[in-house]
Amino acid sequence: MNITVDRKIYSDICISKTVYALSKDICCQRHINDDIETIEVESQSDTLTDDMTVKLFWQTLNDYKNREIIATETKEIRILLYAKAFADCDTFDENID
Amino acid sequence: MEYHLLPFDFTRIAGQEVLVNEFGDMFVAPMGTVDKIVNRTLEKDDVYKSLVANFFISEQQVPATLDIAAARLREKKSFLDDFTALHIFVVTLQCNQNCVYCQASSRKEDSVHCTMSEETMARSVELMFRSPAPVLTMEFQGGEPSLHPELIRLGIEKAEELNKSEGRVMRYVLCTNCVHLTDEMLDICKQYGVMISTSLDGPEFLHNSNRGKTDSYQKVIAGIAKAREVLGVDMVSPLQTTSVRALQYPIEIVDEYVDLGFKGIFLRALNPYGLATYNQDWDKYVDDFVVFYKKAFEHILDINKRGTFFMEEFAVIVLRKMLTPFCTGFVDLQSPAGIINSVLVYNYDGYVYASDESRMLAENGDFTFRIGNVNDKYEDIVYGPKVQRIAQLWANETLAGCSDCALRNYCGADPVRNYSTQGDPYGHRPTSMLCKKNKAIIEYLITLLIERKEEVLPIFKRWLL
Repeated sequence: MNITVDRKIYSDICISKTVYALSKDICCQRHINDDIETIEVESQSDTLTDDMTVKLFWQTLNDYKNREIIATETKEIRILLYAKAFADCDTFDENID
Repeated sequence: MEYHLLPFDFTRIAGQEVLVNEFGDMFVAPMGTVDKIVNRTLEKDDVYKSLVANFFISEQQVPATLDIAAARLREKKSFLDDFTALHIFVVTLQCNQNCVYCQASSRKEDSVHCTMSEETMARSVELMFRSPAPVLTMEFQGGEPSLHPELIRLGIEKAEELNKSEGRVMRYVLCTNCVHLTDEMLDICKQYGVMISTSLDGPEFLHNSNRGKTDSYQKVIAGIAKAREVLGVDMVSPLQTTSVRALQYPIEIVDEYVDLGFKGIFLRALNPYGLATYNQDWDKYVDDFVVFYKKAFEHILDINKRGTFFMEEFAVIVLRKMLTPFCTGFVDLQSPAGIINSVLVYNYDGYVYASDESRMLAENGDFTFRIGNVNDKYEDIVYGPKVQRIAQLWANETLAGCSDCALRNYCGADPVRNYSTQGDPYGHRPTSMLCKKNKAIIEYLITLLIERKEEVLPIFKRWLL
């Protein structure tokens, strides 16, 4: 069964993390052709039907897309948070570009 | 709507979205909330206000509560401040029992060349004091360490002597099966306030079956009673280990602990060495253990609802991470991992290991986590190249499968377990049985908080007091 993913919408990191996260139950082979990626998916689990496999793949991929947005948007505040928590220094420039 | 995202992760449990921020605060929201947060389609309702108040989103680019959040994050990692606090001394491998799931490569009582020398004990104590921790716990393990009270006395007296100038808070723990608790051993415990950590698997038939003896239960119960009489009731605490046979008896095991007057039980799964003796695959054992755990836990909740205070101690550790601002000292659920940062093991043969499981690997001929010898310089042991390599793999904030897991704040990293079960210290989370077990139990506790909050939260709060 094939799933087609537009790599302009979903980054390589998102797709890779999805394939990794599902690797116990789903065997994936990735075929990249420019901006379109075709992923051959095959369930390794007796309890996962084809429909469930596709639904699980897209839900996981969309979750990683959301996580990527959160990580990108919060990268600088996260650095500031960790610096304030663990650096032996009280003064930080809190101006975020 | 105009607002700024703050770092958080999310998962789905019990038909809800569970959001967890960078320092472990949890927020349960209706399905679809994360999409709305990311796509800026949140209504300005109670959910929105809670997300702002709990550091998931901010109306300012740099939230006014950033310093508070930083202090909260620092507190969650404060176990790192003092470095190694728990020091395990493997006094001997000699043992007087024959446990079916023995995890410590114990040998017969008359075995030779498996007991610590006095020189090694003394040098190990000196090394322990190189750790900067203001509170040092000296834990004697085996085999059965009570077979060598003279070594335990030597170790404690050496520590007491050094501590005259060091001024640390000293804690002593004797891990014993309580079968051979002599007056001499108990005198040492009484004199130095040594706590007894013992092992009790449940009712008589189960305990004796696990120990490979017909009278082990009676001896252990007698030993516990004797220790309680001499040292005080609260100075004796037992550990339970869930053998394959024990999986069938969750209620009976809990009741045994309640009947003996203990205030809690740590429902502990076998480790790979214990399991290996059964020749059973991890997958099935972990599935069965989670079922066992839930049955035992429901019974524990019932006991509490009937008015008896009784805790499940693994849950208490997870709940402390989940429901309080504090960290825990439990080495198996830490990131960076508890190995070296919180525990060091001085083996009977003079070698130093990163954890108890590391020395068990060594008894099977694998010295991957042997980090030095007691005669080496302290700095070469704990900051050496081997530890530097391990350190690259000991934080779940940086590990594939953990770094994107919403539950990582409640869990921990364990390169030794990854190595021993998967042949690779980095580990592969989708097939990791440790990940599967921890996740199942943490999700179960969150499910209880979501679906039965009014029933369980008062009980959990009493446990956390």
